[in-house]
Amino acid sequence: MTSTLHRPPADLDSHEAEQPPARKSLRQRFSRLDNHASPYLYISPFFLLFGLVGLFPLLYTLVVSLHDWDLLQGQGDFVGLANFGEVLTDRFFWNSIFNTVSIFLLSAIPQIFIALVLAAILDQNLRAKTFWRMSVLLPYVVTPVAVALIFSSIFNEQSGLANNLLGLVGIDPIAWKHDVFASHFAIATMVNWRWTGYNALILLAAMQAVPRDIYESAAIDGAGAVRRFFSLTIPSIRPTLVFVVITATIGGLQIFTEPKLFDASSAGGIGGADRQFQTTVLYLWEMAFFRQNLGEASAIAWLLFLLIVIIGLLNFLLSRRIASGEQKVADRRTRKALQRQTADAASARATGTATHGDDHQGDRA
Amino acid sequence: MKLSRRTTIAAAVAGAASIALLASGCSAGAGGSTESGDEKVELTITTFGTFGYDELYKQYESENPNVTITATNIDTGGNARTDTFTKIAAGSGLSDIVALEEGWLGSVMEVSDQFVDLRDYGVDDRKADWVDWKFAQSTDADGRVIGYGTDVGPVGLCYNGKLFEAAGLPSDRTEVATLFGGADATWDKYFEVGNQYKAATGKAWYDQSGFVWNSMVNQLPEGYYTADGELNVEGNTALQERWGQLAGAAADGLSAAQAQWDWNGGKSFTDGTFATFVCPGWMLGVVQGNTEAGGGDATTGWDFADVFPGGAVNWGGAFLAVPETSEHKEEAAKLASWLTEAEQQLGQFAAAGTFPSTVAAQEELAASGEQNAFFNDAPVGAILAGRSEGVVAQFKGPDDSVIQENVFGPVTQKLDSGEADAQSGWDEAISLLNELVE
Repeated sequence: MTSTLHRPPADLDSHEAEQPPARKSLRQRFSRLDNHASPYLYISPFFLLFGLVGLFPLLYTLVVSLHDWDLLQGQGDFVGLANFGEVLTDRFFWNSIFNTVSIFLLSAIPQIFIALVLAAILDQNLRAKTFWRMSVLLPYVVTPVAVALIFSSIFNEQSGLANNLLGLVGIDPIAWKHDVFASHFAIATMVNWRWTGYNALILLAAMQAVPRDIYESAAIDGAGAVRRFFSLTIPSIRPTLVFVVITATIGGLQIFTEPKLFDASSAGGIGGADRQFQTTVLYLWEMAFFRQNLGEASAIAWLLFLLIVIIGLLNFLLSRRIASGEQKVADRRTRKALQRQTADAASARATGTATHGDDHQGDRA
Repeated sequence: MKLSRRTTIAAAVAGAASIALLASGCSAGAGGSTESGDEKVELTITTFGTFGYDELYKQYESENPNVTITATNIDTGGNARTDTFTKIAAGSGLSDIVALEEGWLGSVMEVSDQFVDLRDYGVDDRKADWVDWKFAQSTDADGRVIGYGTDVGPVGLCYNGKLFEAAGLPSDRTEVATLFGGADATWDKYFEVGNQYKAATGKAWYDQSGFVWNSMVNQLPEGYYTADGELNVEGNTALQERWGQLAGAAADGLSAAQAQWDWNGGKSFTDGTFATFVCPGWMLGVVQGNTEAGGGDATTGWDFADVFPGGAVNWGGAFLAVPETSEHKEEAAKLASWLTEAEQQLGQFAAAGTFPSTVAAQEELAASGEQNAFFNDAPVGAILAGRSEGVVAQFKGPDDSVIQENVFGPVTQKLDSGEADAQSGWDEAISLLNELVE
């Protein structure tokens, strides 16, 4: 691919070299410029937009975080890293980090696992494929606000659906909005409901790109469905899996709407009577718009940004390891099989018996 | 959450800064600039809760054909506060007329120059229209007047007559007023009757402790701040004494521990979960709305008594202000002034139960015996007029709403759930106060 792309310009150059450079027409020059410059022009809208709505706010937040900055009264004195110090010694900040990570783990792990299984099922030869594929995306169409309102009613402690159903099987009502773990579970449920189908479709798209003949040969070699899934599907969709994990990380750590709307009464944005489910962005919101301390709020924003980068990197490395661990095992198996094959072939030549392939080893075991 | 992630990472994380971006980058450039009498103007107005203005807008539009009113109503005061403050911080986006709540005044007054001095539009000529303290509240330290007073919040007691009857208590509203001690009603008496009710029915007495606490605080001459603007919570014996009373009531099981502004989707107003409710004028619309949302109607039994434990109290009330960013200041001031005239305040009262702040309208309500069908035909106007006698507005400091929502909010919920008693709750409130308010 790369070499073919490079070759034509090289040809052009050699061709041009035969002619005196002075005779290069304006048109040629323009086409040269076009060749070199226009790709950058084509991708520039993204970078301009990113600079405007991404980079600038990011840097501006850094400036704000280094000042005393009241929401209404604006910029105050330069205080250096004092805001960061305040935030890092604030128990509510750490509480919000704990809640965020807890909700993130409760949502991301089951979500990606279920999405994988769903995608694998949708990848089969189903009747009315498009219908099933579209229906898993249905929850994604509903706005998060509506989702939060519906689920906050389902998890209502007094007459919510969840507690009513639990009551039917004789379980005591659960304090969905007061118990730390229960509230995290309830919020994670909203996230899962909304995002599982979306992730499933992305993974499905990746699975569709895996060449079918690999599966066929694996099946002929006697690999069962589960074995094919773990040894073929997962390693093949590794890059997509990494993508899904990273986006789930970013989204999960930025969770705001669900906890904000889960408790209608918390006008101050504290997420539950005792901050049981106040996530970091919710705390940021409280700091900026309720306590009106924009300086500290910006410090929180930056700390959260750094945290997301760190966890994102960690996830990237981890998911690479997991997926490539699978790959390594497969590679090792192939290598061993090859060795056996050559050994078999050698012994066959020696004994004069014909032998095919190797995988009988597996069948025998 | 996942689409166009790349562009939004920074923007979402640095949400606060995008406000600053707005402040420095863009300014809303809508509408024309020069104004004359007949030119078409579109006025935007933002209110919250139940303001009851919809009919008045139509009336104004028909009387002033050149004016179109685009109204926004935000569900609760808390959300309206965020909306308004964010837009002040951004330096753009505010409507031509913004409703300000009394509780935010402390913060708003620190940036009162963001709002038009209404003396330039003749508010001084109308000074005598309002009760003194309402006008004084909207005047900043430099003597600039930034708001036309709309309603005030005299508080009476909502109670459910049917539930009272079932518990063997009198249900007639004058008898109920006497039951609590009439003009000498105290919180002790209120909780005492509550215990009787609880003993008779086994049910809770009031919805949750937060609103009761707000009433108790607003009733004091000085609340979370002294009149000089000093923090006034730690070592405030009057406040702590009331806290003890409230904690005792919660410990006795008088609180139904409801979620504020939700009340189990309004159902708790209809199924007898609690029998009394603290009702400033503007809350009457909220009670009715929630009862209806919960599937109830006038037969649910809610009534309104001319009594309140601990005496007269003002809770809430709003102002209409014109931001400096408005491009139609003159027209906006004219509309805001019109909306707060006695006649229109009466219309607002009829639509939403908000008690007027102008003397003429208050007098008219006091004289009229007009009955409210939802509240068992109670003459709510006359009752509220009675409840407004002796009301003094309390000074609201810059962090008043933070103290109310984020310091005492969580702790009153803990009283309700039994996780805190008088002492531990108070101690926690003080430590929260020191952490949240500088």
